[in-house]
Amino acid sequence: MVILNLTAKSSNKLLIHRNMKPITKVKNSIDIILTPQFYTFIREELDVNFSYQAKQIAEALFDDYLDSKKQYQYHVYKCNHEWCFFAYNIDEIDLFLESIGIEKHRVSKIYFAQQIQEALIHPVLLDDNNVLQSIDETVTLIPKQLMNPTVEYKPLNIDAIKLKGGATMSSSLNSFVSLKETLIMSTLFLMLGGIFVVEGNRIKASIAKDDAKLTALLDDNPKYISSLSRTSILEKYEPIDRIERAKRQAIKDISKLLSNKSQLKTLNISKNKITASIRTQNQTISRQVKNHAKAKSFKSSGTALNVKVEKAL
Amino acid sequence: MNLMTLQRYKNELILLLTLTFVISAFLYKLSATKYVVENKASIQQHTAEIIQIENYKKQWKSKGMANKVKVFKTIVTGSKVKTFSKKSSKLTLSYINLTANELNKITNKLLNIPVQIIMLQIKEHSKNKFTMELTCKW
Repeated sequence: MVILNLTAKSSNKLLIHRNMKPITKVKNSIDIILTPQFYTFIREELDVNFSYQAKQIAEALFDDYLDSKKQYQYHVYKCNHEWCFFAYNIDEIDLFLESIGIEKHRVSKIYFAQQIQEALIHPVLLDDNNVLQSIDETVTLIPKQLMNPTVEYKPLNIDAIKLKGGATMSSSLNSFVSLKETLIMSTLFLMLGGIFVVEGNRIKASIAKDDAKLTALLDDNPKYISSLSRTSILEKYEPIDRIERAKRQAIKDISKLLSNKSQLKTLNISKNKITASIRTQNQTISRQVKNHAKAKSFKSSGTALNVKVEKAL
Repeated sequence: MNLMTLQRYKNELILLLTLTFVISAFLYKLSATKYVVENKASIQQHTAEIIQIENYKKQWKSKGMANKVKVFKTIVTGSKVKTFSKKSSKLTLSYINLTANELNKITNKLLNIPVQIIMLQIKEHSKNKFTMELTCKW
């Protein structure tokens, strides 16, 4: 299983300078330390608390020192009570690395020689013409001719130096998407995904209550699990309920047709039919009974004083 | 694909992972919606059917009905109850010489007791005197 190392933990370190010789193929990831040939450094005392605030003003800070035609990246960290600003051109560094045989994706972190200034208090010979030394706490490239001929150069063991807070190469160059964009978009995706998950759960939960109710009913009545059995029982009871209600309503309706002047003679209820005969005192009452019966959907017939009403159930 | 390549495209990989998450979450939401749409109506229908069956049974197949229908024997004077036969869940009875008030009383009782009226015959055999035959079951 391959575990993606997102923290870009450093491995070997390499000091990069213009006149260095090409390197045989690098197979592992490396951290590079740039000499001042590749960066511009400013130390500034600022009234800001966080590095992101300092980084926001970095571009303005270097305005007068950099070639406006080139695009620069900036790196900032706090050094004692001041802020150390670095401006570097990642394309330029990338081209140089390629020219000396280092593939850019092998580089995990970029450090600056300024970060190892304590180790450069004694001059270090970079090549035949250049010397690296910290002067007034600023790492500087000095032509060898300017150095005292008697000076003793010490070798620099960079593997023994512990470095922290470098810039990531991948975030500067290799990725098609910058780290900032990645963070913004990933956060948005995560939030959107979270909303979808919460919404999905809410939607599912919306029928949980109904589902639980059905489960409880089925637990109490396991014979109703089959829809065929339910349909069969309903088909048995629905007509009973409908017809029995109709019978009772019909009896009530007939009772409303009765009065002192219209009296019941017979009433029959069979399976699907109700009939009643009503004796009336005069034809006017007969007409009234017939009209009322019609209004209640009864079919009426009969002779002058004998009204018969009937209805199918 | 070695670790360096992964390292190189870590931003894209992070985006890919989060994008996969958001797409999966969206599909989850879609499936949840589909599940609810497909099941809600059927769950509610099944529940309604069971409740309806229970109501029907409670109404038309009440267990205490055998005792309740005994009221038809005592609702009027015993001499007016011609026959009263209760077998299993079926009742056959007939009355004679009922007054209009008695007839109304029996009919009202019948309307309010949930039995299935198989047959009901009411006849006026003389002035304001009625006979009544009833067959019902539950």
